[in-house]
Amino acid sequence: MMQKAVTKKHQISEMAKREERWAWLFIAAPFVGFLFFMAYPIGFAIFASFSRWTGVNSLTGNLVGFKNYADILTDAKFWKSMVTTLIYMIGIPIGMFLGLAIAMGLNRMKHTRRFFTTVYYVPVVSSLVAVSILWAWVFNYDYGLLNSMIKALTGIHGPNWLGDEFWVKVAMIIFMTWKGLGGSIILYLAGLQNIPRDYYEAAKIDGANGWQLFKNITIPLISPVTFYILITSLIGGFQVFVEVQVMTGNGGTNYSAATIVFYLFDKAFNNSQLGYGCAVAVILALIIFLITALNFKGQDKWVSTMD
Amino acid sequence: MKRKKLLALGLAALMGLSALTGCGVTTTSEEGESTSSAATKTEMTGEGKDEINVLIYAQEHEKAAYEDQIKKFTEAHKDQIKKVNFEVTTQDEYGTKMTAAMTANDLPDIFYVGPDALRSYVDNGYVLPLDDYVDQATVDNLWPEIKSAYQYDGKEIGKGSLYCLPKDLSCFALAYNKDLFDKAGLAYPDPKKPYTYDEFLDVCKKLTQDTDGDGEIDQWGVANANAFGMTPYLFSNGAKFLNDDLTKVNITNNKNLKDAFQYYVDLTAKEGVTPTVEQDTALGGYQRWLDGQIGFYACGTWDVAAFMDQATFPYKWDLCGWPVGPDGDGKSTTWLGSVGFAVSKNTKYPELCAELISSLSTDLEGQKALSGETTGKSMQIPNIRDYAQSTFKDKVADGTIPYASNLDVIFGYIEGSDQYKGIFPETTYTYNAEWWDTFLEGIPNVQNGSIPVDDYFKEVEPKMQEALDNAIELQNAATK
Repeated sequence: MMQKAVTKKHQISEMAKREERWAWLFIAAPFVGFLFFMAYPIGFAIFASFSRWTGVNSLTGNLVGFKNYADILTDAKFWKSMVTTLIYMIGIPIGMFLGLAIAMGLNRMKHTRRFFTTVYYVPVVSSLVAVSILWAWVFNYDYGLLNSMIKALTGIHGPNWLGDEFWVKVAMIIFMTWKGLGGSIILYLAGLQNIPRDYYEAAKIDGANGWQLFKNITIPLISPVTFYILITSLIGGFQVFVEVQVMTGNGGTNYSAATIVFYLFDKAFNNSQLGYGCAVAVILALIIFLITALNFKGQDKWVSTMD
Repeated sequence: MKRKKLLALGLAALMGLSALTGCGVTTTSEEGESTSSAATKTEMTGEGKDEINVLIYAQEHEKAAYEDQIKKFTEAHKDQIKKVNFEVTTQDEYGTKMTAAMTANDLPDIFYVGPDALRSYVDNGYVLPLDDYVDQATVDNLWPEIKSAYQYDGKEIGKGSLYCLPKDLSCFALAYNKDLFDKAGLAYPDPKKPYTYDEFLDVCKKLTQDTDGDGEIDQWGVANANAFGMTPYLFSNGAKFLNDDLTKVNITNNKNLKDAFQYYVDLTAKEGVTPTVEQDTALGGYQRWLDGQIGFYACGTWDVAAFMDQATFPYKWDLCGWPVGPDGDGKSTTWLGSVGFAVSKNTKYPELCAELISSLSTDLEGQKALSGETTGKSMQIPNIRDYAQSTFKDKVADGTIPYASNLDVIFGYIEGSDQYKGIFPETTYTYNAEWWDTFLEGIPNVQNGSIPVDDYFKEVEPKMQEALDNAIELQNAATK
């Protein structure tokens, strides 16, 4: 097989060769970019993670082996922010369920579909900082939209969304679900439109009801989309930072809103523990890598392709 | 053939720069996404050969004053200077930029160093000792507190060589809204005799009112931001968080601190003379103060220009001292702050740079602009002591500089007096402030009554100690 490919290559024309040289050039640009802006910083961060580097002192003069890692794993704040990060992920299945439901609704619309898709997609293309500031006002205890509505409907004053250790997590989940919804809707909509009509017609002739159509045709055939959304949301879920920084400032009462990346930032930039921050980043990268690998491994069990 | 084309394309991408002659100023701005003020870069050009890079953070008025200063300096030294690159960033980004510059071994010639960062900068050889470069008369005319904050002998702060000239010396006094006092028929606070804890609470209770009669409090005696406005209450009861050599957190067995902190949280939890924790997250004390809902609010020396501006704060106000606790030395005590201009140890032009920072720090015209005589906006107390004590005071008295009339409160904190004292907080001398942030994080839970002070102290002390140990270890690593 390999041999075949090589012999084939020898037979290609002069023009094809020239095109190949050009192809190399085109590849070179992003590859050089990758080397400078990704590979080097990654290597640097891994190296720095073994040092008590503060940004001011010597990086190589303060190598401490795995001490940063040991300290991280015994730091209560690390585990607290890890748990918070995982709690925020409750929003992922909720977002996927809502996304699919709305996409199925939109899929039936003929004329208004484009309008509603745009409406749902606006949060995705908006600046995260801007919408976070906006939502901080929505969640405001006294003047917020949410608490005004709660008060108008029930007569009770709503919770202190961003100040209370429990409610801040609910607030963040609501925000993240809202922010991510448009993305899943678009993807699900595309997935739904790719399912050939004949499958449904054939199933209907065989007497399948609506639920059976959904369960046995729709769900399996959009599973690649579901898989894609799951992977990207999980990776994104581990990297949540901006909304916490903007809405709570210091990570919330008793660090209750802080995520892993917030913890990393706090250590590295508020407390000049850059080497330690690098070690947190390495741990985070490993976790993301592991979870993504597991997902890819497990996909055979539930992700089906149309061919 | 095609390769040549590519090369040509690459060359075309390099732009030629036309040389600028004479004095010129070019400014470019980059909008920061997350910060409100924009970072800017300004170039001042002369006809000489030396090129100086300056990196600081500043507010708009300060930036304008320093820009004028550098322009004048460039003009005066134009046969020597080719260019001064004056870069102003935001305070948030400053640390990140400096870390990047240090990592790349490409420090600007002139930059800010605060008293808290001085040791690590000196230990790692980044800053130039100024002893041989600045004139002794200039140094002698600085506030003593500030001079010692920038002296370091390799072991202790306050001794040895001088490493910075101050950008400013600031302090955090207390302001009160006169209009609310008038409405309540209360006598104004006496600037010569700060309130005791009890007197202060009593006045706050009288100022806490439901003004529109809807059954809800809408005017409070005082509002405090924990991160900045809490320590003056504690310091004024002689409270400290750490032992003298700054190695042990001492809060559970510390009566001065416990009593003062209890008093502080009770203002919210028990007495209700401040907005509740929930109300405070909804709208911060600063906005409520500007809105006329608050009797007493903290006022930094940098806040004065804003509070004097009728459009920002349409009320009559004045300064007074923080309330004094029963167990301290009887002085109303607040924290001092400062940041200083430093010269890079690796600069090619130490004399020129030292001269430039002297002008930024202590030039009379510059200080007149920053403290308000020529601009009408007082951003800071002048760094030049004899000017501050004479002309500056006179200009405040005759109204040339819009200022609160009890200016002496500020001078009391800065110079020290029988009633007043200013100190640098303990975080100034620890390698980072994580132990302090750890203490701050849980305070809202004490203020809303979910955890008593004793329990909170017991819970937080070991965490603070861990963070402090960490800082000490970093401090040791910093000198390697």
